[in-house]
Amino acid sequence: MLEITNIHKSFGNNEILKGVDLQIDKGDVVVILGPSGSGKTTLLRCINFLEKADQGHAIFGDIDVNLKTASKKQIHEIRQKVAFVFQNYNLFNNKTALENVTEGLIIGRKVSKDEANEIGKKALDKVGLAEKYNAYPSELSGGQQQRVGIARAVALNPDIILFDEPTSALDPELVGEVLTVMRNIANEGTTMLVVTHEMSFAKDVANRVIFMDAGVVVEEGTPKDIFVNPKEERTKKFLKRVLPEDYIFYI
Amino acid sequence: MEKYFDVTYIAESVPLLLPFLKVTFLVAGLSVLFGTLLGFILAAMKTGNSKIAKKIAYGYTTILRCTPSIVLLFLTYYGIPSIAGNFGINLNDVDKIVFVVITFSLQFAAAMSEVIRTAYESIDKGQFEAAVSVGLSNAQAYRRIIFPQAFVVALPNFGNSLLELMKEGALAYTIGLIDIMGKAELIIGANYNTHALEIYLALAVVYWILSIVIEQLFLKLEKMFSKGKQVIKTT
Amino acid sequence: MSEGLNYQFLVDTFFVALSGVPIALLITIVALLIALPLGFLLALTRINRIPVLNRFAQIYVSFVRGTPVIIQIFIIYSSVPLLLASIFEKYNINMNVYDVNPIWYAFIVFSLNTTAILIEVFRSALSTVSKGQLEAAYSVGLTNVQAFRRIIIPQTLVVALPNICTATVNLIKATSLGYAMSLQEITLRAKVAANVGYNYVEAYIDIFLVYLILCSLVEYIFKLYEKRLRRYKAVNA
Repeated sequence: MLEITNIHKSFGNNEILKGVDLQIDKGDVVVILGPSGSGKTTLLRCINFLEKADQGHAIFGDIDVNLKTASKKQIHEIRQKVAFVFQNYNLFNNKTALENVTEGLIIGRKVSKDEANEIGKKALDKVGLAEKYNAYPSELSGGQQQRVGIARAVALNPDIILFDEPTSALDPELVGEVLTVMRNIANEGTTMLVVTHEMSFAKDVANRVIFMDAGVVVEEGTPKDIFVNPKEERTKKFLKRVLPEDYIFYI
Repeated sequence: MEKYFDVTYIAESVPLLLPFLKVTFLVAGLSVLFGTLLGFILAAMKTGNSKIAKKIAYGYTTILRCTPSIVLLFLTYYGIPSIAGNFGINLNDVDKIVFVVITFSLQFAAAMSEVIRTAYESIDKGQFEAAVSVGLSNAQAYRRIIFPQAFVVALPNFGNSLLELMKEGALAYTIGLIDIMGKAELIIGANYNTHALEIYLALAVVYWILSIVIEQLFLKLEKMFSKGKQVIKTT
Repeated sequence: MSEGLNYQFLVDTFFVALSGVPIALLITIVALLIALPLGFLLALTRINRIPVLNRFAQIYVSFVRGTPVIIQIFIIYSSVPLLLASIFEKYNINMNVYDVNPIWYAFIVFSLNTTAILIEVFRSALSTVSKGQLEAAYSVGLTNVQAFRRIIIPQTLVVALPNICTATVNLIKATSLGYAMSLQEITLRAKVAANVGYNYVEAYIDIFLVYLILCSLVEYIFKLYEKRLRRYKAVNA
């Protein structure tokens, strides 16, 4: 459903992505792990054209596009198929929770207002914010804001949702509610590509885990492959650093 | 209206205009001096406990903010001698520059009272409490701890207010003060109102350069003082 | 001058000064209508560092902010007629430059002036709206224009509103310099009335009152509007 080949991206002299390939099928929940600066976030942003890749190719369903030279029209079409959940939520500050969710539907997709409101309310109900339709982002906690961010993505009924470290900006006690929501929508069969540091989420929810370092995919496989039997030295090192010593016994 | 545009008039008028910058500077300097003093008093009223004083100070600022400089200038110029006349004091021979300085001091005070108030309020209350807790007197705490910090905050706004003052000061020519603007009017008059455009352009260039110099100066000052702040931090 | 105030004149002239309000307001509104969009666009060129326009806007702002308004008025008022005259001559238009209503010069001067002020206002306001807002708008499928119209501009306006208010008040005050273009606004009308009997103190009190009322009203309206726009920030405040 989504296939990306040989994506390159540099900022100045700093090459962040050095030829990454990625393939995602319908219903996949793919988690990308890796140390900070490994290019995970940049990869996600390039897929949604928030950054323009220097080189690379993508196939989104029936759209076949060069990531560097994509036309405005192609970018717009792809963004209609791909939703994004931001690390800092990026809720529209001047819109209520419900308006945040319906904005893309009404304006971007020309869905009627009534229909959009219905979809929007359903999406907010799903993330447990039925009480907060008319709250502005400034009136919501970080966890609630991120749940609106997820509802905003879900409401668009996209082919895939990209999550860019959705819990990193949250206080520890708020991480759980967001992860629960993500688990629920994953269980509904939503295709997801998730950059995160939450190992438990990767282990329990993902059907595929990708380990990236220094701009390349080092290793990929099932959670079991990666967590229990990592083959590459760099993967082992990373896991040793981020997981508790006796983690292996929990699995 | 004259037909020809002659660049040489611009070059020739600049040396004639420059000596009169002295008057412009004098007006600005005195207005800054008196205006800042009055501004301090108003800021103290605004941040103090007296409700009446607060109302007066804020009312003053609002009124001054709503009054065009030229209107204030003429109100002072005609109004003060008229009021004084009612008490039998003749102020008709007082130099015009006095009224100009009064006008712009009043105006500058309104701006400065806000600059000082916001700078003062931007300083964390804990700073004062800490100063007192280590044994400084109230006055010492203000002088040694609050004032130096507030000064850095106020600096850019002070610079902006000064620029405004310089520009608004150009209106003093309307009551006949011969500063740089007044001199320009004299030159134009002497040319029988021809080549006014060239003289005004020369004047604009002088003001523009002056503004840029003042702006740069304040940027330098700001940098200097915030550098000092960092040094204090690291030692 | 020491016989005290002429109250009859004070009252009469108040209404003379008041009759100049429509002109002052017309100039203010026209200048804002031109300066708001133009200032916003040029602020965007500054923020996005569009090569030539950015530089142009920078110099333009520096000049307007670095020179007195009265000199800007004199420059426009003595240069535009020269330009017009040569245009009329060239195209054989049978029209006298002196017949041009001075309000047109006022429109030009105050639009140009306010545009420069608003470039700076919008530039600092735009820099407070995070890039993430634009990215989020793109990510839900909004086009560039839609994102600006629905997300970026409303947020920028709220931040910019207090400064737009200040700019508007300053603009109204600056129309008092219209006398230099023989514009029949508040100050000139009252002054002319005063010329007859040298009732300058009364005239300037009237002018002062009219500006005070006008500017206070404008500030009040802006405050109301700001409150409405600011709802989404209520909790933060």
